[in-house]
Amino acid sequence: MTPRDAHVAPTNRRRPSLSFRRPRTATVSAIPTTPRPGLEYNNLWDDLSLVDSGDAMDEPVLEDVNHFPEPAHRRRAAKSFSNLRHPVEGLRALGRRLSVTMRNKSSRAFNVPHQLDHKLGTYNANGSHEFASSASTLQGFSIPLPIPGNGVEPPVLPDGMYSGAAARAAAAAQNEMVRKMEYMKLNMNNQDSESGIGIDLQDRSELSDLEPDFVRLDPTAFFPTEIIGQVLSYLEPESLMNCELVSRDWREQASSKHVWRHVFRRCYAQQRSADFRPQKHLAAGLGKSVFQQDWKKLYLVRRALDQRWQDGKAAAIYLQGHTDSVYCVQFDEDKIITGSRDRTIRVWDAHYPWPCRKIIGPPPGDVANSGPVHDPEQQSSGKSPFLTIRPPPTRTAEIVDLGARPHDYHSASILCLQFDDEIMVTGSSDYSCIVWDIKDDYRPIHRLEGHTAGVLDVCFDDRYIVSCSKDHAICVWDRRTGALVKKLLGHRGPVNAVQLRGDLIVSASGDGIAKLWNVSSGLCVKEFTSKDRGLACVEFSDDARTVLTGGNDQTIYQFDANTGELVKEIEGHSGLVRSLHLDTANQRIVSGSYDMSVKVFDSQSGELSIDFPGWTTSWMLSVKSDYRRIVATSQDSRAVIMDFGYGIDGIDLLEG
Amino acid sequence: MAETNNQELTFTSSDGKNMKVPRDVAERSLLIKNMLEDLGDATEAIPIPNVSENVLTKVLEWCTHHRNDPPTTGDEDDSRRKTTDIEEWDQKFMQVDQEMLFEIILAANYLDIKPLLDIGCKTVANMIKGKSPEEIRKTFNIQNDFTPEEEDQIRRENEWAEE
Repeated sequence: MTPRDAHVAPTNRRRPSLSFRRPRTATVSAIPTTPRPGLEYNNLWDDLSLVDSGDAMDEPVLEDVNHFPEPAHRRRAAKSFSNLRHPVEGLRALGRRLSVTMRNKSSRAFNVPHQLDHKLGTYNANGSHEFASSASTLQGFSIPLPIPGNGVEPPVLPDGMYSGAAARAAAAAQNEMVRKMEYMKLNMNNQDSESGIGIDLQDRSELSDLEPDFVRLDPTAFFPTEIIGQVLSYLEPESLMNCELVSRDWREQASSKHVWRHVFRRCYAQQRSADFRPQKHLAAGLGKSVFQQDWKKLYLVRRALDQRWQDGKAAAIYLQGHTDSVYCVQFDEDKIITGSRDRTIRVWDAHYPWPCRKIIGPPPGDVANSGPVHDPEQQSSGKSPFLTIRPPPTRTAEIVDLGARPHDYHSASILCLQFDDEIMVTGSSDYSCIVWDIKDDYRPIHRLEGHTAGVLDVCFDDRYIVSCSKDHAICVWDRRTGALVKKLLGHRGPVNAVQLRGDLIVSASGDGIAKLWNVSSGLCVKEFTSKDRGLACVEFSDDARTVLTGGNDQTIYQFDANTGELVKEIEGHSGLVRSLHLDTANQRIVSGSYDMSVKVFDSQSGELSIDFPGWTTSWMLSVKSDYRRIVATSQDSRAVIMDFGYGIDGIDLLEG
Repeated sequence: MAETNNQELTFTSSDGKNMKVPRDVAERSLLIKNMLEDLGDATEAIPIPNVSENVLTKVLEWCTHHRNDPPTTGDEDDSRRKTTDIEEWDQKFMQVDQEMLFEIILAANYLDIKPLLDIGCKTVANMIKGKSPEEIRKTFNIQNDFTPEEEDQIRRENEWAEE
């Protein structure tokens, strides 16, 4: 059976439907009384009216002779252009068609009842006219309306199809046409459509014979592969997986790597805005764009990972080596960098077995014990790690490079740090920042001196390094030269946190006020105040529209950066909110608190989604996250990787 | 410039019908546009051997409505495939039977009218979206040629989760 003929299900209808296409051309082009090319469904009636005329026998011959050489990309559609091609043959056939159609047309009113009278009862010329006009009104309808209780087996539409009807209107319309046709047929013998009498008299099993009137074609047989590929790449993963189950041809098309690449990337990469370059260089978990990438496997892995986040199921991997509070952390897929009160900066391998690669600072002594042991039974609520891993501390002797000179180090606690592909900037209680060359084995480039107290937070972009201090000031430095560009004064307490997006700086102070500054003018343009007490941390969304603050109120405040309006208050912590991290792509707010918990909130709803209480034995000082894990640092001298991807088969495929 | 845009061309459809088409409408088709650029003025009828008159009429209706759209730029493959939203006029335009819809897509592909091809493909995608395999089979009259074992195998593969 050719794809073209596939719609002809009941065998007794085979011949009439073979000639089904024939009157269409004639109807459109040769009959002046029906000049509507769009009114294709008129032909349904030509089909119905064709009572095994002898002409139908001629038709296949005509179709088979007339194939123009098909262009290569059309090879799958061999049957799709069965219309006349050869001019002479075509003209003759046209004449034949014309007469056939004319005959059909004149006899339609009589033929139809002849064939269907046992179903439709009284059908007259008047009714025929009635139908023609209502059929033409179909052309204009747009949104499919469900027709209640007409007693006809609905053609194909499941109930759920009508949700989101606008986008599907065109698709649904096709189904709807069939419905309307059925509906009209049923009402044909009963001009009073209000009463609905007679509908229940229809035998449903007989009526179902009428359904194949509607042409259904298998796209995989009709279209060349690239078109099928384009169609399928518009689907979301679940629909695409359903396509794989349709038939063998569909499975072949729907498992294409090319299609899955589009589907996977649209599913997970769409929220990345091109307007603002994300400041945080977060790993996206989208895998590498390599030639033989198995995008479907990537999707399945990503789905399993997201399920872990939903279930709050993560392994705990403890990084042990610091000898005092770990104040700050940042990580990428290769490394995790932490800074501590022990005056050292440590660079850890982000992969098994998570060794410490480097210590920057005065050589510490070896850590003898392996830190406090986590006791899940002490926890009353929230989630414990499903697995706890404590890699043995790397021996100091294996790490420390003693070649570096002591004056290159910070002489006090490392309070804050940020890195990108080129530099790392650290801030310390020794009042200074150091800029390190990350590409040259963390060589110190220059020291930024200007604050008169400890540097509490630091951030930078392509142009500026911004630091804030206990001395109530914010300093803006030139990234390349290290020169002090500007000092922003206005806070009445220590400035605990600072973030930079484009020309905007947001800062949070122990005086309970967060300020929005314009870098160029150096002026404070907006203030966001906490309800009660001091602020410890601040987050700025990638699009610079949302400001989050946390502090002694134990509440996370969400502000609209444009209006200054308080949008949301997120409750949940029972201690000072010390650190906030916003992952816009995955809609997560991660917070670390002096209540010793790390919590994850949905950034849209503000709902608590994950609660990890007491994974370390003291205050949580810094938290960061990416698609796969949260890294939190604690006052108990450890950093902990809360790894949601641990043990998932193929999880490494997601690395970029 | 404006004069050449208003020039009338003649298309001959696969079934031998001649149709008058304003040049700017015809140039929505990159195939035609490139051909005209190569050949200069086309004084004779241009044969469109792959598209029958009724399909060509529909395609030209679309081209006429969109004659003033900005030209499509390069190959923004990813952005073109970002959403399945279809503007209202195009949605109505696509409310045709399945056969016509498919023929329009083939014609858009052949004539290289990318935006029309996109809309057509999105319309078909919307016919698939959210449907079960059985519903998809019904929509396109497809025989299930899997053995129950094969079906199970695919299901298991797709339901794969880590535990």
